[in-house]
Amino acid sequence: MPESESDSYALTVSGLHKRFGSLEVLKGVSLLAREGDVISILGSSGSGKSTLLRCINLLETPDEGVVTVAGETILMRKTRDGRSLPADRRQVDRIRSELGMVFQNFNLWSHMTILDNLVEAPIHVQKRPRAECFEEARALLDKVGIGDKANFYPTHLSGGQQQRAAIARALAMRPKVMLFDEPTSALDPELVGEVLRVMRSLADEGRTMLIVTHEMGFARDVSDRIIFLHQGLVEDEGPPAELFGNSKSERFRQFIATERL
Amino acid sequence: MMDTAFIWDIFLRLIVALRVTLSVWALSVFFGAFIAAGVTWMRGSGVKPVEWIARAYIFVFRGAPLLVQLFVVYYGLSSFPVVRASVFWPFLRDAFNCATLSCALCTAAYQSEIFRGALAGVPHGQVEAARACGMSGFLLFRRVIFPIALRQALPAYSTEVISMVKATALVSLVTLWDVMSVALKIRNDTLVTYTPLLVAGAIYFVVNYLIARIFIFIEQWLSPHLRARSA
Repeated sequence: MPESESDSYALTVSGLHKRFGSLEVLKGVSLLAREGDVISILGSSGSGKSTLLRCINLLETPDEGVVTVAGETILMRKTRDGRSLPADRRQVDRIRSELGMVFQNFNLWSHMTILDNLVEAPIHVQKRPRAECFEEARALLDKVGIGDKANFYPTHLSGGQQQRAAIARALAMRPKVMLFDEPTSALDPELVGEVLRVMRSLADEGRTMLIVTHEMGFARDVSDRIIFLHQGLVEDEGPPAELFGNSKSERFRQFIATERL
Repeated sequence: MMDTAFIWDIFLRLIVALRVTLSVWALSVFFGAFIAAGVTWMRGSGVKPVEWIARAYIFVFRGAPLLVQLFVVYYGLSSFPVVRASVFWPFLRDAFNCATLSCALCTAAYQSEIFRGALAGVPHGQVEAARACGMSGFLLFRRVIFPIALRQALPAYSTEVISMVKATALVSLVTLWDVMSVALKIRNDTLVTYTPLLVAGAIYFVVNYLIARIFIFIEQWLSPHLRARSA
């Protein structure tokens, strides 16, 4: 891929393969995300959608393929026994700090207050001035609607509040791309709405987002593009209107019929 | 014989001896923690031979009675001319040093297991979240893994620290004048059995009670997230 072409994308993934033992979870997945794109990744469980997201920030190490974040390609090397490894750990750390990850189970640090969770990486990884980090963190907590919970510990918050705090923690690093790994799957149904509202506002302000989700209605409303994964391959992709209107994929039509809209 | 003057006299003599008990205890727990940190690190190093050394260490020092270890260090080592001729002899000829060394080596094995358990108990998701934020290596350990593991280790660690206070009573058998050996001497000299032992037991009890309180205080101070929120 020429430098100039990947430069204009916030994120590019090409030819991603990932194997767990004999099970090949990703069989060559590619995707392009322009600045401000909201892309939802759909698929039944086992289709490889979470693995795809986790390969992008190298929480899983892809066996093959190229990931480029804001024009910077993650350098990989092969070990003598043929395994793939990141060539430069510091580059991985730096690129990870440019990707905001939101997990299914929130994963807030239990020994820190919500505010401390937000300033942790900006202060210790990005080495930004403390005062600035705290000021920005408070503004982010207000933005996600839990400004009054700054000095609470994660266990004292509801699931929806914890997930909103986790989104704020990811935003605090001023990420170039936000990655959401089934952000509402661990929530009680009545708490899903408050998290989706926050995500929708982020989409509206033009953030680049990659969302793995089972919320069909939400994906259809906010996404610029939908990618449907099936058995480790992109089965179909396109604008939601196109896909939900008449997908050329029989499997996708079956998939949306079984999931609630 | 249970007159207060006699009890008071015993108490004063045991309190003086408490200095020896607490010195052996504090030094062995302190140095034991460093040895334990090293052993834990070796155990998790991922290098097989190094891991086996750590396992063997824990197996030996947790498996054999402390009394046996104490006797091996104090009486056993000194029977080798090589040891007496070595640079370690000025250290090993002293009963206090031998006692402290034995206790430290023994508690290190237990502490290492506590550390290992606490590290294994750090929720994987929280470590992953830290990695996803760009943390790795020592920063990840210092800011996330260690603070969480520390909080998880405290209850078991306090138990180990308290059991070490009691274990120091064994050093009375290698000529040290700790609380236990002074109590035994009073028993021998006066032929009164119960009084000195009861006073000794009470002193151990009070010391352990205070240590337990300190640990409860530390736990509460470090874990506000486990207390009910009063705001």
